[in-house]
Amino acid sequence: MPRILDVGCGPKKYPGSIGLDMNPATAADVLCHLDRGGLPFRDNSFDQVRAEHVIEHVDNIIATMEEFHRVTRPGGRIFLATPHYTDYSSFRDPTHRWHLNTYSFLYFYPGGMHGRDMWYTQVRMREVKLHVSLLKLWRAFGFEFLVNHSRMFGQFWEHYLSFLIRGKLMEFTFEVIK
Amino acid sequence: MALILDIGCGRKKYPGSIGIDMSPAGQADVLCDWEKTLPFADSSFDKVRLVHIIEEVDNIFRVLGEAHRVAKPGARVTIVTPHYTDHASYCSPAHRWHLSSFSLWFFSDRPGEYDYYAPADFREKRVRVELLRIWRALGFQFLVNHFRWYRKFWEYYLCFVIRGKTVEWELEVVK
Repeated sequence: MPRILDVGCGPKKYPGSIGLDMNPATAADVLCHLDRGGLPFRDNSFDQVRAEHVIEHVDNIIATMEEFHRVTRPGGRIFLATPHYTDYSSFRDPTHRWHLNTYSFLYFYPGGMHGRDMWYTQVRMREVKLHVSLLKLWRAFGFEFLVNHSRMFGQFWEHYLSFLIRGKLMEFTFEVIK
Repeated sequence: MALILDIGCGRKKYPGSIGIDMSPAGQADVLCDWEKTLPFADSSFDKVRLVHIIEEVDNIFRVLGEAHRVAKPGARVTIVTPHYTDHASYCSPAHRWHLSSFSLWFFSDRPGEYDYYAPADFREKRVRVELLRIWRALGFQFLVNHFRWYRKFWEYYLCFVIRGKTVEWELEVVK
């Protein structure tokens, strides 16, 4: 059975996972504050770490991603869901510290920064999947399909269109490289 | 006489209020760090104002929690902050938060699971969005402020083009 950690699990924990949250009024199995000392697990403890609507809240994204990387086994997966910075929900929560786009985690990819590795962090992961959802109207016009099925259009959208054809949710799956 | 507290009063203190600020350069009557406990007893004020403050604080919940504590039950709290689509939201490096007209929903009509984050209770009496002059002249500001569904549509689809300026809330303190 895969070992799954659901960070910031809230009231609806991912089925079969260990839930972690800072709020005791949730389905959490482990209470822990991400910004105060990281995760209480040994290295390589999990096959998958999930963090849905978490990364936009933390004090330090790099330190948090390093912790996710540490507790995930080599070749394991990290799944993140977070609002695109053009969605209204990115600005609707007064605890959202960061407003992110589809490039925000290039930082951790090998050669992610224009062919070079970023030097503020040593951890590396590879993006194995990214899905961007758009608002209903734009989905109906086929823009969501284009953004997700053509890398070139996805980039064009991010650079030119995203303030008009606004994004909603980004779902990243990373493979941990160790 | 109604007791009014102006948190972060700066150089233009609200007339007739007690002003607090971190800097002695303004018109503050009391110097204090509003990120910590305010030096006032519970339920002291009839009105509390936070004008262009919440976008700068470390923890919005804690500061509004303190505003709630020092306000009387039923008191009005006025909050003004830039909308996240206005240039003013980005022109100060002290701005930590970029907010929309729905950013304070945690404090009113919220589901119970959020009590953990925002224990203070407020009732939203009024939200007013100001748009840039040209959009106001074309009637968009009227629509945004008179129809909640239109404000939602504006926030979801239009506000990066028909850009906002400031958002003003009037909240009632519930104790």
